[in-house]
Amino acid sequence: MQSEPRNPTVVEKLRRHLISQEGVLFIIMLVSVLFLATRTDKFLTVDNLLQQGRFMTEVGLIAIPMTYIIITGGIDLSVGSILGLTAIVLGWSWQELGFPLELAIGAGILSGTLAGFVNGLFIVRVGVPPLIMTLATLALFRGLAEGISKARSARGYPEWFFELGQGEFLGIPTQLWLLIVAVVVFGIVLARTQLGRALYAIGNNETGARFSGLTVNRYLLLIYTFSGFMSGVAGYIFVSRVSTTRSDMGTGIELDVIAAVVLGGTSIFGGTGSVAGTMIGVVLIQLLKNGLALSGVTSDATIVVIGSVLIFAILVNNFIQTRRGGN
Amino acid sequence: MNKDKSAPTPRHLLDFLGIALAVVIIGAYFLLPFVIQPERGPSTVAVLTESKNANELGLFKTGLEVVPLAALGMLLLGLWNVLAPGAARAISLLMALAGMLALVYYINFFRETALGPPNEWGEGTIIGSLGIAFWIMLGASVAAALQALIPRSVPAPRYRLAKLFGNQESVILFGLLLLMIVIGLANPRYLQERNISDNLAGNAYIAVAALGMTMVIVTGNIDISVGSLVGLLAVISGRLVVAGTPAPLAWLAPLVIGGGFGAMIGFLVAYLRIPSIVVTLGMLSIIKGILIIWAQGDRVRDMPADYFLSQMRPLGIPMPIIIMVVLTIGVALWMRYSATGRAFYALGGNVEAARLSGLSRRRLVMTVFILNGLFVGVASVMYSTQFNIIQATPPPALELSVITASVVGGVSILGGTGTAVGSTMATLLLNFIRSAMVFINVSPFWLKAVQGLLILVTVLADLLRRRRQRL
Repeated sequence: MQSEPRNPTVVEKLRRHLISQEGVLFIIMLVSVLFLATRTDKFLTVDNLLQQGRFMTEVGLIAIPMTYIIITGGIDLSVGSILGLTAIVLGWSWQELGFPLELAIGAGILSGTLAGFVNGLFIVRVGVPPLIMTLATLALFRGLAEGISKARSARGYPEWFFELGQGEFLGIPTQLWLLIVAVVVFGIVLARTQLGRALYAIGNNETGARFSGLTVNRYLLLIYTFSGFMSGVAGYIFVSRVSTTRSDMGTGIELDVIAAVVLGGTSIFGGTGSVAGTMIGVVLIQLLKNGLALSGVTSDATIVVIGSVLIFAILVNNFIQTRRGGN
Repeated sequence: MNKDKSAPTPRHLLDFLGIALAVVIIGAYFLLPFVIQPERGPSTVAVLTESKNANELGLFKTGLEVVPLAALGMLLLGLWNVLAPGAARAISLLMALAGMLALVYYINFFRETALGPPNEWGEGTIIGSLGIAFWIMLGASVAAALQALIPRSVPAPRYRLAKLFGNQESVILFGLLLLMIVIGLANPRYLQERNISDNLAGNAYIAVAALGMTMVIVTGNIDISVGSLVGLLAVISGRLVVAGTPAPLAWLAPLVIGGGFGAMIGFLVAYLRIPSIVVTLGMLSIIKGILIIWAQGDRVRDMPADYFLSQMRPLGIPMPIIIMVVLTIGVALWMRYSATGRAFYALGGNVEAARLSGLSRRRLVMTVFILNGLFVGVASVMYSTQFNIIQATPPPALELSVITASVVGGVSILGGTGTAVGSTMATLLLNFIRSAMVFINVSPFWLKAVQGLLILVTVLADLLRRRRQRL
């Protein structure tokens, strides 16, 4: 945001991109990838990377609406439970109620959307703070999943059902296509549409946004419902990937998602952030997990590294952004 | 909380009635058997009545179990009465309710005994065979009811029924009473001393961790790493004592290390200005990872007998309950009257105003996280000494239980409000809800759903109350 009229040179443009939130994170990611590649030759192969793409799709899909929500200054802790609920409703309506599988998938995703809608409704209409509302529904939705499933798991799906979770399209895992499309579409929605700008406005100053005539309540209701919908889709992909439904599916995924979003440069206080940054966060976490595991680090040790990277990345970013603000 | 908390009104002697009553009831509960049978040493009435010679002692097994519960309720009420003078009459009413509840149960238990297998204690008339607990409780509830009627030296704000629900503590307390009445009527065994004390003792560590969390949230921060930290500190403590460290040192070590972790988190939040939710999200992974790598999934066992702090029962009261009550009272008084405690509220209420009044944000945030670390340390000792085996994994979803307890207890997640008494009562409520499910035969599969629903209802009740107050 320089006031001089002259056009910035290429070097200046590059420099500005590099020291942006996403730029710093991208550099951290490149460094980690290069480092991991020197540790093991199984890491930097097309097969392995595509496989990792398969694993990170669920987190990635939920991270998109989570970015939206955190930008508005809210949070959704119930996404993991919604994922579990969706999976159970899918399996239960197919096996116990005898729905055709296509309808069961629809019912699953619908129940997820409805769960998100309930979150949004209470947050908007009753004024429950998002953290508290979704903390309560974290228990509630998981409880519903447990109650409906009664500890039974549904398996034995027909072949075509696994296409999304285990199949490939043009050599790339099917669900990765979905993620790519979602990222592009919803990234553009956030950066380039009225809706996206409204979310930033709400996050920066909710009262101000209200007085500027934005329909804040409608936007909030929309994004929490959207969060439920995406968690539902992620639940469907999850079931398709692991071939069974269990009520504890997606437990703790909310922390992975929030970590990815925050790592991606979205301020937890709202007002800033981007889908691109979030995706770098998702990819970075997945690559670290996988690369460290392949280098012989136990999977438990990797969570130490990821926790440290999270704090370190925010620290570096804070430092750079403060310096930049100072200049 | 009422507005005049900064300027305490002069105390009427009656304001302390709740505490005095509680002391009398607890005293009677412990001293009576001791007076009757000194050679047995201090023991509770209920323990004695379970023994074979209960009959010889002249103590009837007719609802004495309720006495410590009612006393605990009165103690909390009395304390709260002193802390919030404006709410005195509402509290009196609640105290009378608590007393009545105890009476209902007393009679209920009696009926069960009388209608059960023939016993030799019956003395003809019902009133004649009611034991000493009945008369204590009757006196207590009459006194409590009187407290509401007696005119006070300080003119209280005009009394309205709505005032009864004027703060979160009374909403929770009312919920707790309602729960006990409903579940107790369905299954009187729910109110047996054994169940109640198991419930209190088994979950006291959550209440202690919630005290630390309450302080953190009051300053406008949050700590989601407590679950992992409790797990790690518990294993450290257990391994130390197995390696031959004296038990008191093994109890102390988690406090020191917990304080250290707290200081680290505080430093990152206060001086490096990373939001606390991000720091503790990272710490959650780091601590959990350290625990799993270091403990290798080996559960700690074969601790020496003198290590089990939580299994000790001085004066017949389980140790965790004592720690919980003492710490709750301590924190409640400290948050209300100490300069630092007030500063926490100021910081959470309005950072800018706090800064302009000369409060050091950095130092306060540092302090609150160190304090939280200490409380997590205490909680982990209570957790690790509970059973004969210490699991090498963090207690599942503990941080959620702790945060939920704080939030249900009336802590605004935005900071600035919340009390220690509320957070402890909320922990009790949540765990009584959990155990109630078992007693009314809710299918275990639906347990979590009902629990989630009830949390939601509590939160909504609180919100509606606040909204009405604002209007």
